[in-house]
Amino acid sequence: MSSDFETYEQDFGTLTADVTNKIGRIPKLAGEEKTQLVLNVDKQLEEVRELLEQMDLEVREIPIQSRGMYSSRLKSYKQEMEKLEKDFKRSRIAYSDEVRNELLGDDGGSSESQLIKLREERAHLLDNTERLERSSRRLEAGYQIAVETEQVGQEILANLHSDREKIQRSRDRLRETDANLGKSSRILTSMLRRIIQNRVLVFILGAIILLTIVLAIYFNLRGH
Amino acid sequence: MDNSGKEKEATALMAEAEKKVKSSQSFFGSLFGGSSKMEDACDLYGRAANMFKMAKNWSASGNAFSQAALLHLQMQSKHDAATNFIDAGNAFKKSDPQEAINCLNRAIEIYTDMGRFTIAAKHHVTIAEIYETELVDIDKAIAHYEQAADYYKGEESTSSANKCLLKVATYAAQLEQYPKATEIYEQVATHAMDSTLLKYSAKDYFFKAALCHFCVDMLNAKLAVQKYEEMFPAFSDSRECKLVKKLLDAFEEQNVDAYTDAVKEYDTISRLDQWLTTMLLCIKKSLQDDESDLR
Repeated sequence: MSSDFETYEQDFGTLTADVTNKIGRIPKLAGEEKTQLVLNVDKQLEEVRELLEQMDLEVREIPIQSRGMYSSRLKSYKQEMEKLEKDFKRSRIAYSDEVRNELLGDDGGSSESQLIKLREERAHLLDNTERLERSSRRLEAGYQIAVETEQVGQEILANLHSDREKIQRSRDRLRETDANLGKSSRILTSMLRRIIQNRVLVFILGAIILLTIVLAIYFNLRGH
Repeated sequence: MDNSGKEKEATALMAEAEKKVKSSQSFFGSLFGGSSKMEDACDLYGRAANMFKMAKNWSASGNAFSQAALLHLQMQSKHDAATNFIDAGNAFKKSDPQEAINCLNRAIEIYTDMGRFTIAAKHHVTIAEIYETELVDIDKAIAHYEQAADYYKGEESTSSANKCLLKVATYAAQLEQYPKATEIYEQVATHAMDSTLLKYSAKDYFFKAALCHFCVDMLNAKLAVQKYEEMFPAFSDSRECKLVKKLLDAFEEQNVDAYTDAVKEYDTISRLDQWLTTMLLCIKKSLQDDESDLR
């Protein structure tokens, strides 16, 4: 019984190896060859499935004591098969490097092109960093200037404030002076008036005295 | 050539003026219009002084002005006397500071007698400046600035008073009279807070007051900062407030490096001037002393 199982195992081994090989080849091909290979692989996967079923029946006929080893082996084979199916599905839609190269023209040495790309990216990033540093430096300088401007502004405002007070004071003093000037001009006019009055009085008195003297002389002469 | 010619003229005028004065003091002079003679003499002294100024002979010019002023005093015209004393002071400023201060003091006496306190205050400021720059006598300078501030306050020009008080505070802090400086800064700052023009300077004053508190005692500084923030919310946004808080923290932790870092950071944006550097250094020294004490 177990010898059957072993033959089945060997068959399984060869089939899976073949299938893996073909799956590896599928992405690189296209068109007719691809569909043929796909059909091939499909058929082989069917065979693998039938093998597994037969192995399963075999394992059930084995007595329970020694079943453990065979059942675990069977499980691992099943997992392998599932993985093969997944790979198969993926391979049908996978892109291959070769197809890409056919499209873009073969660059020859892909690792070299990668190095060049890396170097370019590095230079690009360094450039960016430098630009960032430059802008941050400029921002800081701008901020400094703003702070200085604020300080200058403070000084100017303080000066303005004190000038404002001085101007207000001067204006008040000016009004006072104006009032005083008005007063003094009034006093002067009154002084002038008084002077004129005094002069008039003096003339009148002088006239009276003259008159009295003339009258005195006249009466003296009349008396003689 | 021109200068020496002017000087000769000036000396001639001085001699003439002196003769007039002498003659007016004799018996006849006082009888026959002595006052007009004295006025002429004053005039001549003035012209002589101006000529000396042109010849850049400052001491002679100052002398001539003082003579003129004395004559005016004799003639009881105080205003003219004071003006001439001021001119004499200005002339002496360039050659003999001490003499200048004397003249200015006499002028101030006359002005305060007449009740013109604003002008007296202005000249106190001039004297204080002379003490600051030429004679380097900070105590006297402070005294004069204080006097000027008092006069300005009496005349209700708080702005000019504040200007003088700020100078007093700067020097007081330099001389380690911290309580006085703190008081002045707080006073000025509270006044500035209310005015629309000055409120942008208020945070600067609060900062300086906080630093002065700091020099005395750390706890004071903390309480003070809190008080200021309550009074003036805009203060808490300023960089200066943040710096003070950082310094307070560094002080609590006795961490000199954190202190230096905070100061350096502030310096990169706006350079610290002389006064600030001195104060911060003083605080740093006390911090280092504390550290070494603890060890």
